[in-house]
Amino acid sequence: MTDLLQNLINGLAIGSVYAIFALGYTLVFSILGIINFAHGAVFTLGAYFTYTLVVGQFENNGLIKGLNLFPVGSPFHGSAWAFAAAALIGAVLSGLIAVVIERLAFRPMRSRGADPLLALVSSLGVALVIVNLIQILVGAESYSFPGDIYGDLKPAIILHVGGKLVVVRTVQVIIFAVSMLLLLVLGYVIGRTRVGKALRAVAENPGTASLLGISVSRFIVITFFLSGFLGGLAGTLVSTAFSVAGPYFGVAYGLKGLAVIVLGGLGSIPGAVVGGLVIGLFEAFVPAEYSAYKEAVAFALLFVILLLRPQGLLGRAQVQKV
Amino acid sequence: MDFLQTYGFLIVTMLQQGLLGLSLYFPLMAGQLSLASPGFYALGGYIAAIILTQPQFAGWRDALGNWVFPVTWLLAALASALLGLIVGVPALRLRGIYLALATIAFVQILQVLSLNLSITGGAIGLFGIPQAFGFGDRWQYIWIFLPTVIVVLLFAHKLQGSRVGRAFRAIREDELAADAMGIPPTRYKVMAFVIGAVLAGVVGAMSAPFLNTWNARQGTFDASIAFLAYTLIGGSRSMWGPLLGGALLASLPELLRGLADWRLVINGLVLVVASLYLPQGIVGALLRLRRKAPPKRPATGPAPLGDTP
Repeated sequence: MTDLLQNLINGLAIGSVYAIFALGYTLVFSILGIINFAHGAVFTLGAYFTYTLVVGQFENNGLIKGLNLFPVGSPFHGSAWAFAAAALIGAVLSGLIAVVIERLAFRPMRSRGADPLLALVSSLGVALVIVNLIQILVGAESYSFPGDIYGDLKPAIILHVGGKLVVVRTVQVIIFAVSMLLLLVLGYVIGRTRVGKALRAVAENPGTASLLGISVSRFIVITFFLSGFLGGLAGTLVSTAFSVAGPYFGVAYGLKGLAVIVLGGLGSIPGAVVGGLVIGLFEAFVPAEYSAYKEAVAFALLFVILLLRPQGLLGRAQVQKV
Repeated sequence: MDFLQTYGFLIVTMLQQGLLGLSLYFPLMAGQLSLASPGFYALGGYIAAIILTQPQFAGWRDALGNWVFPVTWLLAALASALLGLIVGVPALRLRGIYLALATIAFVQILQVLSLNLSITGGAIGLFGIPQAFGFGDRWQYIWIFLPTVIVVLLFAHKLQGSRVGRAFRAIREDELAADAMGIPPTRYKVMAFVIGAVLAGVVGAMSAPFLNTWNARQGTFDASIAFLAYTLIGGSRSMWGPLLGGALLASLPELLRGLADWRLVINGLVLVVASLYLPQGIVGALLRLRRKAPPKRPATGPAPLGDTP
């Protein structure tokens, strides 16, 4: 019983990050019908941006090692609020990078109506560039956030359930709360506001949307910004729970994110949330003695769901063109 | 000989990667984007590495002598064909990006397995794989890879003109119409998929001695992407495209060696620029150039290579 509860907590925390990360993929897919493989790199960038703001210094290796960007005493040191501000700025910067990626790597292709597969290769090229630039600039090492980034918050909540301990780490609470808050806000924006209606119109049919006076290009920029923002924030959240595990940090998440969106239904926003939570929970329930196989869980689920229900859990069946 | 000493390894690597590019070309002939090749490549390599290094196969090695190498190729081909059928029959009900994602998942699952099984050497992998046919130099692998390239190209050429090749093309252009004309799409799609799988598996078995060690890094998502890039940048509509793309992109890190740390950045930029400005791949662009040049022969330009009967 206590194990169940502990697994549930771990699964929900990591699953909620998968969800907000995967939302970035799914937003872009629903508007453009392409998979942006650079999303994993943007996730990594988000973690590095926040780390730069909070710690301000990279040791060991790389071109900018030892450069003290934000010396101790700068506004991002100390309290939980300062960290929140740094995370927010990191996410905004990630969003801007995603907009730049769209400009340089996707837009020239879109105007020519090129094969979506080429967008795949192009975005992979972008990922390669970003990941290796990070490596050149700050080296290949892992970095950990200082232990007190959440300020004076208590380190963990410990529940006594039936004589056993269930540990809820503060990081897990924060990750889960932030993710749920983001999902609610995003759900509101897309479901209820004018911007959201326009976005959905563009996703449904860009041609008709532009006839109705919606600037499709502008909404594509907004989509990429949101996507990068969510990806970058997910990167920061995950890196506070573990560490900024080097420039290749986002690659594994990038692939897992694909499993999440296909599981939930490509292009479906609630699907990304459900898919993220399902994969997070399944992973958390892998028994410790098989933990080496945990990395295969998402892909096994993906494979199974593709065979049983290719449109995903919440996706709409593809209408076949005749 | 000095030239071969210096560049032999690179030339063989270019041929080897070109072959892996071609392993994507066969499924693409039937319109199927499969990224499963690295999985079969890894499988073939593991089969060869296990037979060539593990003590329980010592008897085989002694009995077969140099024949053990072709035997590993054959076993890799058979195992890839079998696994290709097992994965292909259900997976090829999927279309486009869904098939691509399913095959990525397949590669990931195989990678996790090879990282954790003991027969594959776990995370360390298998090493000390003996050189094929007692080759003393890496460039000598050209005697294996070059004939393979020629055989595969001849096979692809023959296939394109055959009934099966025309069925592939019909499915690529319009699966529903092909189905309506009495061409069973699933059978031909699985056939195209298995041909690609067998090629990748055999290349894996040939590569294990060439690389001397084999581990889980051989069949990764990065490799899926590299092979896809070979095909799209070389040109996916002609058998020359994946070969050329594989050879060029495999040589790129070597050509950029002087740039040290920056070469992977440049590699990424090349992918971006090529996918933006060479939508038909290099072969497609060359054909377009030829068509634009003043006609010396009959005015109708040559059709894309992939479409010539």
